[in-house]
Amino acid sequence: MNRAAAVTGSVLVALGLSIFAWKTLVLQLPVLPSNVENLWRVELEIEARGTGQRGSVRAALPSPDPEQEVFDERQTSDRLVFTIRTERGQRTGVWSGRFDGVHSISQGFRVQLSETPPALPTELSQRPPKEIAEAYTKSTSRFPSDAPEIRELVSSVAPPAPNDPLGQMRTLLGYVTDEILTVATGSDDALLTLSSGEGSPLGKSRLLVSLLRAAGFPARIAAGLRLRAEKDARETVWAEGWLGGRWLPLSPTLGFFGARPPDLLLLKFGSDTLIDETGLEAISSRYRVLRESLDAKEVASFMVPSNPLLAAVSLYRLPVGSQAALRILLILPLGALIISIFRNLVGLRTFGTFMPLLIALALRELPLSLGLSLVGSVITLGIVSRLFLDRLQLLLVPRLGVLLCVVVLAITAQSLFGRSYEVKDLFASVLFPVVILTMLIERFSITSAEEGLGAAVRRLGSSTLIAMCIYPAFRFEALDHLMFGFPELVISIMGLLVAIGGYTGYRLAELWRFRSFTRPSDEAGL
Amino acid sequence: MTTFVGRLRAAGVLGMNRRNAVYTLHWNPRRFYPRVDDKLETKRLLREAGIPTAPVLAVARLHSEVRRMLRELDSYSSFVIKPAHGAMGNGILVVFERDGDWFRRPGGRWIDRRALFYHSASIISGAYALGGQPDVAFAEERLEVHPELVAITTEGVPDVRVIVYRGVPVMSMTRLPTQRSRGRANLHQGAVGAGIELDTGRTNHAVLDGKPVPVHPDTQEGVVGRPIPEFARALEIAVRATDETQLGYVGADVVIDAHHGPLILELNARPGLAIQVANRMGLVPRLEAVDERVRPGMAWPDRIALGCEIARLAREGELA
Repeated sequence: MNRAAAVTGSVLVALGLSIFAWKTLVLQLPVLPSNVENLWRVELEIEARGTGQRGSVRAALPSPDPEQEVFDERQTSDRLVFTIRTERGQRTGVWSGRFDGVHSISQGFRVQLSETPPALPTELSQRPPKEIAEAYTKSTSRFPSDAPEIRELVSSVAPPAPNDPLGQMRTLLGYVTDEILTVATGSDDALLTLSSGEGSPLGKSRLLVSLLRAAGFPARIAAGLRLRAEKDARETVWAEGWLGGRWLPLSPTLGFFGARPPDLLLLKFGSDTLIDETGLEAISSRYRVLRESLDAKEVASFMVPSNPLLAAVSLYRLPVGSQAALRILLILPLGALIISIFRNLVGLRTFGTFMPLLIALALRELPLSLGLSLVGSVITLGIVSRLFLDRLQLLLVPRLGVLLCVVVLAITAQSLFGRSYEVKDLFASVLFPVVILTMLIERFSITSAEEGLGAAVRRLGSSTLIAMCIYPAFRFEALDHLMFGFPELVISIMGLLVAIGGYTGYRLAELWRFRSFTRPSDEAGL
Repeated sequence: MTTFVGRLRAAGVLGMNRRNAVYTLHWNPRRFYPRVDDKLETKRLLREAGIPTAPVLAVARLHSEVRRMLRELDSYSSFVIKPAHGAMGNGILVVFERDGDWFRRPGGRWIDRRALFYHSASIISGAYALGGQPDVAFAEERLEVHPELVAITTEGVPDVRVIVYRGVPVMSMTRLPTQRSRGRANLHQGAVGAGIELDTGRTNHAVLDGKPVPVHPDTQEGVVGRPIPEFARALEIAVRATDETQLGYVGADVVIDAHHGPLILELNARPGLAIQVANRMGLVPRLEAVDERVRPGMAWPDRIALGCEIARLAREGELA
């Protein structure tokens, strides 16, 4: 054992662990994720371009209600003035000022969606307050509740039932859900949707609002986001009807009544536009979403720790996009550690030093068996093509180029195949290590020509084994939280790597390699 | 498992981690590596010092020079094409005999001129170089097996590997090609490795695939107890060649040619560990004995004498 390496390694391990201990024991930061359900971090990113004129961008902000709890709101305003306006309970964030060039603005918050749906109202005879009745019962061009076909439909399908208004609502919902087809490219207009028998989600929701108003319920449109882990949020609309003292959400496309599903965030009511602008040349926006693994209080302890030094370096304060990338990045040192252990302590040989790490990284979002069979089929195809290429006797770089094309084509074919088998987004979020696979194929072929097929297969096998051992590190949520919440552990990993680097003892494989020395019968001869 | 480790340690077996960390990393400064990693550079260095190496017939540094190199080879009926930066014998193409534009390789396979051209071009593209950087192809005279070794060789040419530590030879073996190794002197490809006693120049133990063998698998001739011809001269050029590189831990590969006598084939700054299995002896006690006894400024004959003395003591179990 190299003493300098052992000392340096221990110092680094101790340094990392002592920061870790300080944070967990003194500052009481949680080590394990508490696996709260339905806690999300949502971030709206807007790029707005203007030509020097005054203008404004308005974005719907969520309001707390029994089904969602909103906190931790933050925004960046990029040279603009940000204000929050509240109108009839609807909160709107407004960025205003002179738009000159491109402004990148954002607004983020955390939201805890309720898992237990609120009970349906019981005091059904309650009259709607005057302002609600005034605002949400009139027939308008969007909600033509006075149109004869609407009135006719309500009286034939769901005649007024004073004793069972809930049933009447449900019948209208059922009619629009079942009798009108949902077509993404369908009409947004209520009457057109009704007459053609098909409409967009917005068209169907408007039709439902019109029917509810015709039946005498105050009704309005609502808009929000469906939250999905690791994907951009999908904007969606539904209807709300007033009954028994509160607004009941009901959707003819997502199929809920009385309570929103636990992945649905309400952002805006009375209108379906979430983002609006004036005086701009162009605007683009998207909602990014991250599922939180800590509850609100724990997140707060990471974001605003009692120690000001720590507060300045907390990764939880970063934008959602950077956070997602860093979570992956911080797992890589663990992968390097696993590779070092296999190579220097166990003594396995691999193709390329970090190849197993990159393969594991590429496969992290797929089930292991599927990922390995995908990579395996690409490699097999590549090796077979390499056999044919050998006959052509091409020069090295063009030959590698051809192999690269084969790998790209194989992956393209798999994406198509994957789509037809509904393994959606097979390679969507993965920048597949095409170059790594190409070099792997070339090295495999050269090794099998030079040292025999057996040696090449063995080395491929050990590379795969190491990739399989690294793979869980990318999938294990607790590890992800640990490395992200306590990045100082990377220092400890560095220490372990230094210690392994100074290890001069035997590798496990050498016990087999030098087995002739370990046989007791041979000792006499030595 | 701890008893296994204990036995290996008791036998003084050198492991890969220790070889890298204690010996190659410390004694072989990176800046001297080009002297051994580039075989043409090694030859130039040794030629200036008057140490014999396998004669070079032609060199191609660029793709455009391959045609000329093959033309220059027209007057030879046998030769070897090698990459200047190859490792572990990779990329070496041996031609035994020729019939016009057809060439016979070991194992009786005939190839045409186009295949030769392709192989040379692949070498220049870096297919066999460490790290895949552009390389140089060159043709060497095909060496011939010394008559005393013909009985224990098939297909290729045996070589003598000498580990030279701080200028002192510490261990040696000969690698005998077999049909299975297709004429190549690599133990992991099926060549026989036979340990050589430094002081007597005789083989004392032989292994095939890590297991002891008394005879060559193809010829059934005994491989243990054989004297290696001109072994003293082989040790001399191995030590003197190592001196030229200024590297402290080198594996020198010597071929005992039928006509020229011992020649340096190549030098290796990361020599393998299988030599210990072929000798059934660990390297560590010998390396430590060298550390203890070598004096700066020792002349090479004294260092060879020291190496032989240490090897004798190790064999008789008198090294700690």
